[in-house]
Amino acid sequence: MPRPLLTLSLLASAALLLTGCATAAGAPSPSTTNAVPIDNCGVRVPVTAPPKRVITIKSTSTEMLLALGLGDRIVGTAFQDGPVPAKWADAAAGLPVLADKVPSQEVVLAANPDFIYAGWESNFSADGAGTRPDLAALGIRTYVSPAACKESAYKPARLTFGDIDEEIGEVADIFGVNDADLIVEQHATLASITKDTRGLSALWFSSGSDIPYVGAGIGAPQLILDTVGLRNIAADVKDTWASYNWESVIAANPDVIVLVDASWSTKEKKIAVLEGNPATAKLNAVKNHRYLIVPFAASEAGVRTVDAAADLAQQLAALNLG
Amino acid sequence: MLTAAVLASITFAVTFGPANITPVDVWGSILHHLGLGPSPLEPLRDSIVWDLRLPRILTAGAVGAGLAIAGVVMQAITRNPLADPYLLGLSSGASLGAVAVLLLGSALLLPFAAFLGAMIALAATLVLAGAFGRITPGRTILAGIAVSALAGAVTSLIIFWTVTGDSYREILGWLLGSLAGARWPAVGIAAVAILVAGVPITLSGRVLDAFAFGDTSAATLGINVQATRWIMLTGAAVLTGAMVSVSGAIGFVGLILPHAVRLLVGPRHRLLLPLSALVGASFLIWADTAARSLFDPRELPVGIVTAIIGAPVFAALLARRRVNS
Repeated sequence: MPRPLLTLSLLASAALLLTGCATAAGAPSPSTTNAVPIDNCGVRVPVTAPPKRVITIKSTSTEMLLALGLGDRIVGTAFQDGPVPAKWADAAAGLPVLADKVPSQEVVLAANPDFIYAGWESNFSADGAGTRPDLAALGIRTYVSPAACKESAYKPARLTFGDIDEEIGEVADIFGVNDADLIVEQHATLASITKDTRGLSALWFSSGSDIPYVGAGIGAPQLILDTVGLRNIAADVKDTWASYNWESVIAANPDVIVLVDASWSTKEKKIAVLEGNPATAKLNAVKNHRYLIVPFAASEAGVRTVDAAADLAQQLAALNLG
Repeated sequence: MLTAAVLASITFAVTFGPANITPVDVWGSILHHLGLGPSPLEPLRDSIVWDLRLPRILTAGAVGAGLAIAGVVMQAITRNPLADPYLLGLSSGASLGAVAVLLLGSALLLPFAAFLGAMIALAATLVLAGAFGRITPGRTILAGIAVSALAGAVTSLIIFWTVTGDSYREILGWLLGSLAGARWPAVGIAAVAILVAGVPITLSGRVLDAFAFGDTSAATLGINVQATRWIMLTGAAVLTGAMVSVSGAIGFVGLILPHAVRLLVGPRHRLLLPLSALVGASFLIWADTAARSLFDPRELPVGIVTAIIGAPVFAALLARRRVNS
């Protein structure tokens, strides 16, 4: 067949397909097509047809989609930080797991996704799931939890629940679903939290033993501590999480210690670190076992942030400081 | 005089740190623990001085001295100005031994595994260097680089397979060299290594001086060349293994400090060994003090500081010597 004819027939069939689609799906709603693209950590994410085959990397992205009732769009999860909470366990039960850590580009492409939703910017790297431009060239849209943007123009100056609402809104727009119920639920949980008024200080102990890695002044840990009424001893450090030092911890002698419970750095291991170091063993919180526990997956910004705060507030209220 | 410098370094370094404690209180606390009088500090702040700062500073001093001695020995025995625990693969071998044991979870074995790793790496380097003829300085370095690369790759492989979540952060800090975890047991390990290997080596400067003029002249001076070579290198491996097990692989000290001291006092080992040890101790104490207080409340891995401070100082010494000669 001569070339011009081929092109023409391709165009014709494409046109037919397009009309077919439009007729089948009815008039596209203005919120899901031709909407303004989202500026996500400096990468343009077009808001076109809702994604159908999504890969989620890290727990925050998986749980965001489950919270919006979009679990059926997930064709693969990777680098999950822990089990999802009971309320989403059924929806999460059958989700295919592509990789325990960051999946490689081939693993990602083999799942034939049209959208990848990652918890960290660094998940999109050449030795990870692939760079965002490379994936875009393959027609795969990518989205990173905006709270995890690293560029100063995009990194939240100090995370608020408004930022999390915004992420919910953006994801809802991309998927063409309504976010009103989820937002209402989030705000109801937030309103239910009673702030502690005892003026207590806290260390947010995320990981590490020789050099503690702690929740610092501008990220999800700070937001959660503010919400429950605890003063973060590392609030001066202008970062989400940061390497800290034991000497400053001991000098501050926090009233309580928040232990992040992760499979690779369990709360038991953290308690052993605190009790095994002769200096930290003398801390009031360590001597009196004043620990609050937060699962790792709930410690990063997302739909579980407000639940983590509510949970911590309950644990804190139950603590008898004598 | 340099001994006084080390003592002064310890005395002053212990007053630096993120927590605000006056020098008088710091020294009062130390005197209290040495059995002189009550501590001026409440228990927690006292603990900062006695359980965190002092063991860390003493470890830094011992590690600095040990690495400098190991560097002098290796440069003398291999007659190679580029020899150091790093370039000949000892540090990488020690790191591999330590990481393997760390991930198997036995802290007690750590110094022995590090020593074993250092020893195997050293033997591999020397065998490789001599496999096809005479051991020359160039071949030794090439062999050391090959052994280093292999040990480094296996270390990375172990880390890649076993590290999850953000625990890589910890191991990375350790691989770059860090004294953040140094408590009293670390002081013990480093001190024992200095006693069993560092002091005897330092006292045998005459032997190393003999080596400087070649194996034949050493033999005519009545030295059993082969035996001495291996005893000295084993001592260097003991030092490297012990120091790596408490502080990770701190680069630069073993290679550059002996050269810097040599530029100042000449090549005679009777002087070079003790002075390198003392300068190494002071240098690492201050480098670590900078690492833990410069970016308060964060910490830098001390290996970064040793190179950032040490390289320009060494460059200045080099330039000065060229002008003089």
